[in-house]
Amino acid sequence: MLVFIVLSVVMLIGAVGVVTLRQPVHAALSLVGTLLTLAIAYVQLHAHFLAAIQVIVYAGAIMVLFLFVIMLLNLGEEGPVAPRLAWIRPAAWIAGAVTVVGIVVTVYADPRALPDAATLAAVFTGSGVEQIADQLFGPYVLTFQLVGVLLLTGIVGAVGLVQRKAVTSSAAQGRAVGAAGRTPSKAPPMDAGATAERGR
Amino acid sequence: MGGPVPTEAWVALSAALFAIGAIGVLTRRSAILVFLSVELMLNAANLALVAFARQWATAGTQVAMSGQTVVFIVLAIAAAEVAVGLGILVAIFRDRVSTDVDTLSEVRL
Repeated sequence: MLVFIVLSVVMLIGAVGVVTLRQPVHAALSLVGTLLTLAIAYVQLHAHFLAAIQVIVYAGAIMVLFLFVIMLLNLGEEGPVAPRLAWIRPAAWIAGAVTVVGIVVTVYADPRALPDAATLAAVFTGSGVEQIADQLFGPYVLTFQLVGVLLLTGIVGAVGLVQRKAVTSSAAQGRAVGAAGRTPSKAPPMDAGATAERGR
Repeated sequence: MGGPVPTEAWVALSAALFAIGAIGVLTRRSAILVFLSVELMLNAANLALVAFARQWATAGTQVAMSGQTVVFIVLAIAAAEVAVGLGILVAIFRDRVSTDVDTLSEVRL
């Protein structure tokens, strides 16, 4: 119960941060915190496989995509650049040292032995991978295949969206530049080259 | 500390997360922050599904793992949605240098 209370407090603070923080990067990192606490919640709910997937797919892949786009588009509050905080660097060193000491102490000073292979196998049998596979390739096989089609459509859609946009916008730019005569000799070939590069 | 957490508590937490995400979708103006709030709502639904899966597992029925399987499928769909959505976002941003959703009412296919 104590774990649940701490977990839900952290989770809700992260969620409120997503909704209220003004910097998109801060909001995204706040969502990462919420997603990691959700992974711990899945462990609490005996869904170990989903917890691992949550960390790898959500907190890993999807959030990296978000941060990539935020930084690509250079979104953010206009305003003075925040000064580097002087205490960040020593705090980072201290945090790293505490982590290492904690791990070493846990490994060498904990009297409990590691569980043997049979125990581990029993634990992992209950962790959901086999049952999820049974469901996924049994009653849900049609859904599984539809998700595959959806992912393929998503790939084609995302690539096609960005690709077509790149070709037409650079062609339009070339025409506009040629008509306005701002840099008539240089811009169109460079645009064409860039488009060809992107095409490959 | 005293037995497993009741399913109601997990579902209440999920409802709170979902409500916060909905508030974010309705109030944020930058499209990318709307996306982040949508992710929050998806995860709230996932949490409820996992909680119900555990509920049925303790009840000992055959459908116990369906909830977790659906969560797995939701994860895949969320990944596809994010890829396409962020692609649209980048394309829009190239056109007009803002991602304010209030000014996008004229976007058509």
